[in-house]
This record gives sequence, C-alpha cells and structure tokens, in this order.
Amino acid sequence: MNNLVSSVKTKMPLTVLMLICGVFMILPFLWMVSTSLQSPSEVFTRWLPSKLDWRSHERIWTGDYNFITYYLNSLKISIISTVGAVFLSAFAAYGFARIEFRGRNAMFLVYLSMMMIPPQVIFVPKFIMFNWMHIYNTHWALILPGLFSIFGVFMLRQFFMSIPKEITESAFIDGAGHFRIFFKLVLPLAKPALATFTIIDFSWHWNDFENALVFLSSPNLYTIPLGLQNFILENNVDYNGMMAAATAAIVPMILIFIIGQKYIIQGISGSAVKG
Amino acid sequence: MSKTSWMRKQSWLGYVFILPNMLGVLLFFVVPALFSFGLIFTDYQFSNPNVSFTGMDNIKRMFQDDQFYNAIKNTAIFLLSVPVSLGLSFVVALVLNKNVYLKGLLRGMFFLPYISSGVAVAFVWMLLFQPSQGPINEILRWIGIVSPPGWFADTETAMYAIDIIQIWFLLGYNMIIYLAALQEVSPELLEAAKIDGAKSRTVTWRIVWPLVSPTTFMLLITGLIMTMKSFSIIQAITQGGPSGSTTILSLYIYKTAFSYYEMGYASAISWFLFAIIMGITVIQWISQKRWVHY
Repeated sequence: MNNLVSSVKTKMPLTVLMLICGVFMILPFLWMVSTSLQSPSEVFTRWLPSKLDWRSHERIWTGDYNFITYYLNSLKISIISTVGAVFLSAFAAYGFARIEFRGRNAMFLVYLSMMMIPPQVIFVPKFIMFNWMHIYNTHWALILPGLFSIFGVFMLRQFFMSIPKEITESAFIDGAGHFRIFFKLVLPLAKPALATFTIIDFSWHWNDFENALVFLSSPNLYTIPLGLQNFILENNVDYNGMMAAATAAIVPMILIFIIGQKYIIQGISGSAVKG
Repeated sequence: MSKTSWMRKQSWLGYVFILPNMLGVLLFFVVPALFSFGLIFTDYQFSNPNVSFTGMDNIKRMFQDDQFYNAIKNTAIFLLSVPVSLGLSFVVALVLNKNVYLKGLLRGMFFLPYISSGVAVAFVWMLLFQPSQGPINEILRWIGIVSPPGWFADTETAMYAIDIIQIWFLLGYNMIIYLAALQEVSPELLEAAKIDGAKSRTVTWRIVWPLVSPTTFMLLITGLIMTMKSFSIIQAITQGGPSGSTTILSLYIYKTAFSYYEMGYASAISWFLFAIIMGITVIQWISQKRWVHY
C-alpha cells in the first residue's frame, strides 16, 4: 500500500511534466490544423479560430492540380512500389538467410556497401539513365527503383534467420522444396515482420520528396510532397491554404501510424538495436 | 541421399531466389554508382552533348570552391542537431521507461514528427518561425526578449533554426530506440546497485548510461549519416538561402547537378560525401570495441 502511494506520488508529476513536453512536440501540428480552419485575417493573431472556416480545405481539393490528383499519384506509386518491394525483398532475403550458394557472402557485401552510398551519388546517373530509357518524368522513374529495397532484404533476412532451423529441416525431410517452404512455412511465420516492413516502406514512399523532385517535372504527375511544395510556391501568402495543404499531406500518415503503431515501433527498434 | 548433400544440390536455387532483387539492385544502385564514379573525371553537363575527360579537374576545383567550404561549414552546424537530440531523447526515454502513466500516448506524441511528411512539417515550421508575427517570436517577445532572432530571414540564425527542426524530428526516433535498449537492462543489476546504496543519479550515469552505450554509439553514427544525406526540409523552406547560409553539402550537390547541370562536378562532390560517410562507418567498426560496453 505504501509502495502504491509513493509510486503515484512520483508518477503523477512526471506524467504531467511529460504531457506538457509532449504537447510542445505536437504543437506545430495543432497550430497547423487550427490555422487551416481560420479566416485569413485571423492568421498569427489567435491560437484558435473564432469560427471554423473550411474554405482553405475546399480550395486545395479543387482547382487545376489539386490534392485529389496528388493523392492518386502518391497512392499508385506507393502501393505498387511497396507490394513489389515486400515480395522481392522477402524472396531475396530467404535466399540469403536459408540457402548456401557460392558467392553468397560477396553478394551480401555488395548489398551492404550500397546502403552506405548517399542517394546524391546516384541521382545524376539515374537522371541520365532514365532519359535514355524514356522514363524520366513518368511514374516509372519512381516505381521501378522503388521495387528494390536494400533495407527490406536486410530486415527480412534478419527475421528469417531467427526462424528455428528445425522447422524448415523437418519440412525438407518430408520432401518439401525451397519454394514450398518459402510460401507455405516461412512467409506465414514472417507475417509480423512483413507487416512492419510494409508500413515502413509505404511511409518512405509516401513521404519521398527528393526522388519526386529530381525525376518528375509535369505537375499532373506530382506526388503529395511535390504537389505541396508546388502549391506553396504558387500561394506563398495564403497561410490558411498552406496549412490546409500541409494537413492534407500529414493526416494519412498519422492514421497509418495510429493503426500500425505496434509494428512501426517494433520494426524500428528491432532493426536498429540488432542491426 | 543425405540431407546435407540434398541441400547442397539445391544451392543453385539460391540464385533463383536472389536474382530478381539482384538485377534491380544492379540496375538501379550498382550501375549508377559506378557510372557516377566515372563522371567525376568528365565535364558532363547534360545540355552539352560533347563530353571530354578532364582528369582530376573536378576534384581540384572542389578544393578551390568557396561554396564547397561554405557547404561543409553548414553541414557541420546541421550535424550538431544529432548529439543534442540524442541527449534529450535519452532523458525522455528514461522517464517514459518507468515513472509515468499514459506511456503509449506519450510515446506516440514524441514519435509523431518522425513519421510525418518532412515537406509538410517544413512549411509549418516556416510559418512558426516567421520573424515579425510568427508564434515563436510572439512567445519570445512575451517573455521579454525585445528583439527576437530573424530565424530564416537572417544568415546568422537560419542554420540554427533548421537545427531546431531536425532535433524535433529525430527526437522520437532516438527515444523509441533508447526505450528498446532500456528494456534490455537487467532489473536485478539496478536492484543490486540500489541495495548497495547507490543514488538513482549514480545508477543512471554509472550503470544505465554505460549499458546503453552501444545504442548511443549506433544512434550517433546512423543519425550523422542520415542527417548528412537529407536535404528535403532545407530545400522546402529556404532552398539553401538566405545567400547560401543553409546550403549543406547534400543540397549543394543537388543544386550543382539539377540547377546548374554540372553533372561531372556534382559527382565529384557526391563522392566526397560518400568518402565522409565511409570514414564514419570505418571509425565505427574500429572504435566499437573500445567505446562500447556489451
């Protein structure tokens, strides 16, 4: 009983203190939503709108290149890339984790070294290559490289290695081949790891600004981050509109985070602490 | 047939499994990387079809380029955000690990910046830092600071304003990983120390901090590398200005390549960036044993 009282005594003030710090962390988001619902005359003058004004939100969802276009573009690129990356990474990760073949370690070393190469190194040659391939300024310029995730191979290889060898070996003895073991045993066992990688990879594609900036030039092809920048460059005094656009860009990720919080946190802490 | 020989016979299947991924990695990572290395020794300029080999000219030019040195200086200031964010997130993780209610909610609040779109938060911060009417300077005036900084409008402060955003951005990520590391610290060890009469501050700095040092080290290295490579927040807010004061190395590479179309020169600088990252990684490998207590 005494213990309980003292723990409440130390826990309560710390909880309050941390809540205050937490509110400061999310204050930019709260201010963003609040400003997006204000009228132009209220920006910078008050924290909360005097009455809810939805006109800024209407403005960004209509118009020539509106957020519906950007959402559809982002969804298309993110979904195709993520599905492909999950499948192709899992396939390769199984090869690296469970099959011994000549040159395996050397090939894995190539993967390892590619992780260190900054994206700036390959922007220029990719730009030149994509011009040759006639995929510059098409969604393929983002989708094709997006199908291949080095991080995904690493993360899933890590997980596949943690599956006990006995499980797959007994399947071998029963006469199953690598393909059956991969599809019928390993993939189902790896569902949590696959979910984690799916969410992380999706968020990476959804928020990717730098590739879109380099490889897309037609506004009707823009993804959300690039469309957002475009909107703000054209409407740089429309503060309510800017904040409505920023809200539109952030809300989907917040929803995904709330739904997949467990997987995101597991994946990030798991891959980092073990890696 | 024995089990192992059967498995060995299946080894060609290994290539089948990794081939689809390997082809993509070759095409979109390895080939461009080699290609880029070749470009260092040319004057390739996208608009100009005549390419000639220039040997070491791009590398020489780099070391005579004031803007290059300016970018290095700005990158160094940018990297300050990494250790600062680490320190703060360690303290937050310590508190969240034990002594609070609503852990899940608090964890989510601190982690939210990391998951949200960099460009979107960049624009929110741009308005928050607005010099004459922005909320941050309003608050500073309210607490008695008569002339608060101009933030992005001022060459002296613009890079530090970016640092603040980066600290805010990295905090949640670092905290999540510290939380995972703190959970590995054995409770018996802490109990024993307490029984021996150690104060909680002593326990924290003499036992917990050394025990999580592998995590600190890993976060420092990956944070430095991640921060060195990124430029989207800066590109969105300042495009490197005012007058070059926020042009970090990665942004300078982007501008050299895609605003001035000097692909050869940009490749030289990008390999310099790679060399730094490589250096940091090597230091990590070497010093790990000395620095880190397992």
